[in-house]
Formats: sequence, structure tokens, C-alpha cells
Amino acid sequence: MEFVIEATDLTKKYGSLVAVDKLDLKVEAGTIHGFLGPNGAGKTTTLKILVGLLKPDGGSVSILGQELGWDNPDARSRIGYMPELPKLPKHLKGRELLDIYGRMYGMSKEAREKQVPKLLDMVGLKERGNDLTGEYSKGMQQRLGMAQALLNEPELVILDEPSLGLDPVGMVEIREIMKEIAKEGVTVFLSSHLLHEVEQVCTNVTIINKGVALASGTLEQISAKIRGPLILEAEVDKLSKTVIGKVKELPFVANVSKDGKKLFVEVKTRDDVRSRVSQAITAGGGIVTSMNLKGGSLEDVFMGLLAKNQKEEAAK
Amino acid sequence: MSVSHSGWTVKFLAVVRYELLWNVRKKKFLGMLVVAFALATLSLALNHIAYALGGPPVELNPDFVINSNVGLGGFVFVLFAIVTTMNIISAEFESGTIVPLLAKPVSRTTVFLGKLFAAFLTLLATYCFLMIYMTVGGFLVFGPQNNLHLVPLSLVGALFSTLIWIAIVLFLGTVFRSSLIAAFGTLGVWIGTTIIGSIIGVLAGQGWIFTYIPGSGNQGFANGGPSPFGPTGTGVSTGTDSIGSNLINYILHPSWEVTYYKINIGGTTPDQIQWVRLYSEPFSNIILTSIAVALIYFIVFVAISWYVFRRAQVTE
Repeated sequence: MEFVIEATDLTKKYGSLVAVDKLDLKVEAGTIHGFLGPNGAGKTTTLKILVGLLKPDGGSVSILGQELGWDNPDARSRIGYMPELPKLPKHLKGRELLDIYGRMYGMSKEAREKQVPKLLDMVGLKERGNDLTGEYSKGMQQRLGMAQALLNEPELVILDEPSLGLDPVGMVEIREIMKEIAKEGVTVFLSSHLLHEVEQVCTNVTIINKGVALASGTLEQISAKIRGPLILEAEVDKLSKTVIGKVKELPFVANVSKDGKKLFVEVKTRDDVRSRVSQAITAGGGIVTSMNLKGGSLEDVFMGLLAKNQKEEAAK
Repeated sequence: MSVSHSGWTVKFLAVVRYELLWNVRKKKFLGMLVVAFALATLSLALNHIAYALGGPPVELNPDFVINSNVGLGGFVFVLFAIVTTMNIISAEFESGTIVPLLAKPVSRTTVFLGKLFAAFLTLLATYCFLMIYMTVGGFLVFGPQNNLHLVPLSLVGALFSTLIWIAIVLFLGTVFRSSLIAAFGTLGVWIGTTIIGSIIGVLAGQGWIFTYIPGSGNQGFANGGPSPFGPTGTGVSTGTDSIGSNLINYILHPSWEVTYYKINIGGTTPDQIQWVRLYSEPFSNIILTSIAVALIYFIVFVAISWYVFRRAQVTE
């Protein structure tokens, strides 16, 4: 397995505050890896270390097989980085900015002439390329920030909250771009506090809180490791012992309990078994008026992990 | 991948281009340019304005251009240094544009040198335009001019004089990451050394100290002598702000000796004010000392700024 980012015992302190605390991080090549955590979890600090903007107080980092020293331009030459709410020099026009950044990457004139219009088109700024970035809206700056991160056709793209400040259409477009570049073999490392975003685009995820990695792996691995039982919550008219008995007979059911008209069915499988539970209820003479699946989303996992982490902190 | 691993020069020139476009599009810079040309125009037109208001008729003055120091003086040097340099490091940190810039595969040393070189080019171009404007204007207003071949020395001197202020602005801006501290701090140094320092120097007889700090330096007199009403001859400032005019005077009058005086004030009436001769030195000493002082200050302040910038962590 090839890793494009490997960080071991990564530590960063701001005075007495430990922003990143002995973080171990591995990002597999060719994946879209989400870096998930609440505000202030240490996501941006970690990303800034990865691109050489901050110096770690401890630990080691290698990017694309190269040790990340301080001020090492070579390590950055194969990376694209989009900061959180990118602040771009407002005295430059969008096209000029990409051209100048392209020169900084050492791109040839031909490569810049090909890549700059293509990227402006991709992020929907084709018509505004000759305007000063100071005249751009926040969303447009975000789009240009995405374009400059892809300028050098990087092997690894690091995106810090790429959807922040975008309207719903923009969010969808940015996610589509992420999926597109991943298809071309580019590894995307994406920090976000938007659970549904990570769930929609990421194949792998690392969950971080207070600078500590709480879990890491593919979405399925994390689910299997952390997720609590899946519970089907059904509201049933004519809820009787017969209904409960019928549901208990189902092979994937671990436990059944009731509270008034509500029936709680704990299931052992990740498959969608709602229709089979519904059929069992009907067979027992009950009428299903509503049914919800709880404990299955990344949000549930995330919240569960945070709650567990907080309990452990409190116990200390 | 279409990235060619071009050399240092390409990346350096990309930073220069980035910075130059910022400089020429800055409203502050354009405003300063207008002020500089307005002042130059005023010095050319002053005699005509006086004549129009009933003053003496305008006479031909073949030494106007060479004596005017092409319209540049201490305060203009400080202002141009502030306008061209106050933003180059500090404003990048203040606005957050440093983040995408330093994430590019360009070493911090290259970024630093590129920005400094761009400030120098901006100054050079501005001073060249001013020099040409004053030379042509002087010719048109005051007739044929003497010693025009020495005008480029004014330009060289002006650049030396401004470099020292650039280094101070850069130092304050880099260390404190604040454009305001850079601008007002430098203005404070100029006011302190040039205005207050000169007064204290003349009264206390310790003006030699000001030869070794930026600004107008010590005040002396050449080609004259003592008289009951004070020293006679041509006033000479020994400081780094006067390198241009001193270079020209040295070529025109290589044998000049400069004599320094202090004032003893015994009372409030003129006869109680006494000028006391302190010492004399050859003009060549003054030139060499002021150039050495400018270079040493420039090197020291730029080196400290570079060191701080190289180590700066981007927490913004």
C-alpha cells in the first residue's frame, strides 16, 4: 500500500495550547481522504504543517515519499494546496494570478497557456478571468483558490474546507471536481467539518478532535469498528406481542423493545432490512405508520466518537 | 505532467512580476507619484509664480538641475521607501495572501529577494522618470544647464539614500508583521534623526553621532569660514540622505574641507549667540562614510528581515 502522506507523532503547540497532539496520519495514494473534526480540532494546523507553512514541534512528516523539512520547495512542487477561505492578492486579475503561480511552479509558457483557461473554465470563472480578484465574491475567490491548487497537475491536492462560503450549486460543483481529479489518480486530502460532504465524496476518513486522531480508515472500516448497533425505530399501530414475536424471528435481529407505539429493533447487519422488518410487523397484525434507521450515518459515528472522547477526557 | 523543473531565475522573476504588478497598481504608490511630480513641477515653476505675483523676473540659472538634486530629498526618500516597501512582507501576512504564496514551490529566500528587487526596480523607474522630467523641465525653464553629465550621480545617490530607509521599513514590517508599524516607525526614525537630532547635535556639539545614523547627518560648512554672524560658505549635510548632492559636490570641488561648529547660547540677544569651531575633515571622508553607513545599515537590516522571514510561521 502506497501512502502519499505519512505523519508520525506530529505535534504542534501554540504556547500552552496543544493544537496537534502526537498525530499519526496516513493517506493512501489514489483516495479521497477526509479529515474530519469540529472547529478548532487541529485540522488547519495539520494541513499548514503539511505544506510547510508551520513548523511542527515534534514528530515527522513525509509527503510523496519525501521528508518534509523546513522551507523545502521541492516537497511542495508536486502538491496543490487550497487554504481555508483563500485570500488571493486583490491587485492581480484571476488569469494573471494563475499565470504567475504557474511560473512559480516552473511551468512552461505552453503549459500555462493550456492549463490556465482550462482551469478557469472548470471552476466557472472563464468570463471573469480578466477581472481583479479584489472584485470577486467570496465564492468566486473560493473557486479561484481551487483552480490554483490544481494548476501544476499535482499528485496530491490538499483542500482546507473547500466548500466554505460556496452556495449549494458551487458546493456540488466543487465536489464533482474532487471526484473528477480523483478519477485521474490524484490523491485528495480534504479537511471538512461537513459530515455529509465527507460522506458523499470520501473513500477514507480520519476523525480528529483536540489534535488527536480518534479514528482512521475507510468509511466501512470505521463503521465496523466504531458504529454502535443499527436501530430501526418504527411507529406501529396495533403493536402486540405477536408483532414483537414475528420481528424477533428474523435472523438479523439482535434485540427488540417497545415504548408505547414505538418499536425499537436492533439489527446485526448493515444491509437495508426495513422492508423485511415491515413485512414481519404486518404479518403479526401491526400497521407501520413510520420507520427510521438510526446509528447508520457518519454523523452518528462522529457524534459517538466525540462523546466517547469527551467522556474519556472527563474521566482523566 | 506539464511542469518543467526550471531554474531559480524563472521563479525569482515570477515573484518580481507578482510584486511589481502590486506596486504599480497600489493607490498609495500612484498617489505618491503624483505628489512627487507635483513637487518637482512646483520647484520648476516657483520663480514664475513669484514673478506673476509681483516678484523679480525669472533669470536663467545654468546650475538649477544640478543643485536641485533632481527634486529628491530626505522626506521624499522616506516616503518612497514606505510606499514601495511597507506592504511587501507585512501586508501579505495581514491580508493572508502569504498563505497561497508560501505554499508554492519557491523558497522563502527567493520570495524575499524577488520582493526586494521589485521594490528596487519600482524606485529606479520612478527616480529615472523624475530625473528626466527635472532635467528637461530645468532646461526649458532656466535655459541650458551645466554639468548635466553628473545628473546620473544624483540618481545613484538617491537610490543609496532610499535603500537605507527601505531596509528599515522592511525590518519593522517583517519583525512586527504590521504595515502601520513599518510606516510610522520609519517616519518616527526619520523625524528623530533628521529634525530633532540635528537641533540637538548643533546645540550640544555632538553632531558627529548623526554621521553614523540614517538621515540628514551632521551639518557643516565648506568653502567658507567663521564670521561674526555665523559660519559662511556652502552648507553640507553629512548624512545618508545627501549622498547624491555630496557626490556631485565632491566631483566639482574635490579639495573642499568641511568644518563643523556648535552654537553656544549665552542669552536671548544675537550677540550672546556664539558659533564655536569644532573640527574639519576632507569632503572625501564624508562621501565614503555616508556610503559605508548606508551599505552597513542596509545589509544589517535586510539580513535580520531575511532571517525573520525565513523562520516565520504562518499562523494567520
